[in-house]
Amino acid sequence: MIKIRLLLLTLLLAPLTAVFADVADAVKSPKGYGSKGYVWGKLLPEQVTVLKLTGDPVRGKEAFRGCRGCHKADAAGVTDGTYPRLTGQHARVVIKQVTEVRAGIRVNPKMEPFSADHAVSPQEIADIAVFLATAETTRENGKGDGDAVAKGKKLYEQGRCRNCHGTYGEGDADGPYPVIAAQHYGYLKREMEYIKKGIRGNSHPDMVRAIRNYSHEDIDAMADYLSRLPDYRQSLAERKGK
Amino acid sequence: MCMKPDQSRPCWQCGLALLVSGWLLSPLVAHAQAVPLAERLQLCAGCHNPDGNSSIPENPNLSGLDADYIVRQLQDFKSGSRKSPVMSGIIPMIDDKEFPALAEFFSKQKPKPGAKADAKLAAQGKEIYDEGIVGSAVPACSGCHNEDGSGTEKYPRIAGQHSSYVIQQLINFKSGERANDVKAVMRAVAKRMNEKEIRAVAEYVVTLKGAQE
Repeated sequence: MIKIRLLLLTLLLAPLTAVFADVADAVKSPKGYGSKGYVWGKLLPEQVTVLKLTGDPVRGKEAFRGCRGCHKADAAGVTDGTYPRLTGQHARVVIKQVTEVRAGIRVNPKMEPFSADHAVSPQEIADIAVFLATAETTRENGKGDGDAVAKGKKLYEQGRCRNCHGTYGEGDADGPYPVIAAQHYGYLKREMEYIKKGIRGNSHPDMVRAIRNYSHEDIDAMADYLSRLPDYRQSLAERKGK
Repeated sequence: MCMKPDQSRPCWQCGLALLVSGWLLSPLVAHAQAVPLAERLQLCAGCHNPDGNSSIPENPNLSGLDADYIVRQLQDFKSGSRKSPVMSGIIPMIDDKEFPALAEFFSKQKPKPGAKADAKLAAQGKEIYDEGIVGSAVPACSGCHNEDGSGTEKYPRIAGQHSSYVIQQLINFKSGERANDVKAVMRAVAKRMNEKEIRAVAEYVVTLKGAQE
């Protein structure tokens, strides 16, 4: 009888665990980082297709409809970090993430159905990518409590983080390395932990190696610091003005 | 089928075989005979009313729906990829060639405002409709269907739709009974919702007016 009850309970909870898998206990990607044959930066056939297309921001705004249910109409996501802020993200980063989620390389059960090829065509991915690269928001991002900003800054600058993600957290449009400045604190922290655990499927091996040396407190401090950086476009404009 | 190298038509033996098999199989194919639009509309009006604003809450309003969406649903009823005990009895009578004109007719009918809703339940529904449920990864309905429920080319209009119908469809998507949503997008959403949330959202959908002219 107990066995039957347990079985029923498992069956009842099964759909829940599927949905929250990436929140509570994310799974290692079978095709991604750590699996045989995974090579960071090796373009998927679909990425080659998308990169050849010319994106249009007006069409991109329209195609973004299917995304804004979670990422919101202004593309600034949810401040608790459940959904990242996408405003100003580099086009190539967006293309990489969407195509790799739908290829199952970055395991993301929450996003997977909405990044399928009906929801967004290759042309729409190209369009959405240029739309987001130029998108702006007036909403504040989610920030850490501010206690560890100095520590976070020191760790960020002394580590090799700046080599790819830049002094201002501006990333690299061609890398492609993501913009991380002014991202939601919760999202930065979660994704850094995933990379450390080797379960963000499409991580750069150098990034995994680099972040392994940091403790949870270190990661928390860096997330706090990065969440408090201004929008990188503002930082770059100020540097130019000086 | 054998083709002579210099001809694009099959040889006479194959041609004859095709003719005979076609004649033998013809009684197995349901007889759908195209009839004039006005006559056909009488059949639809029985359940959906002449103007596509059905008086029976279990039957959907068709007024103002995107014509391509209606055609796709009719095709899916015909092929069986969308199941409905009622439509499965009706659809064999309608010829596929009639679908575009029927869809065009209903898409041009003026939608009527939805029934009076339970304000408290609708307010809970509005929260889900506009913001989604972050904890269980339910996207906001407004993302695809628009804040006013007017829908787009890809996602149907839902403004003012009967709550009983919306509840039934969401339950069917959740269970997989309705599986003609392309790439399972709607099934993915409905699976993340519980029945209480479904009821609340459906109540709010009734109050939506769609695009205001």
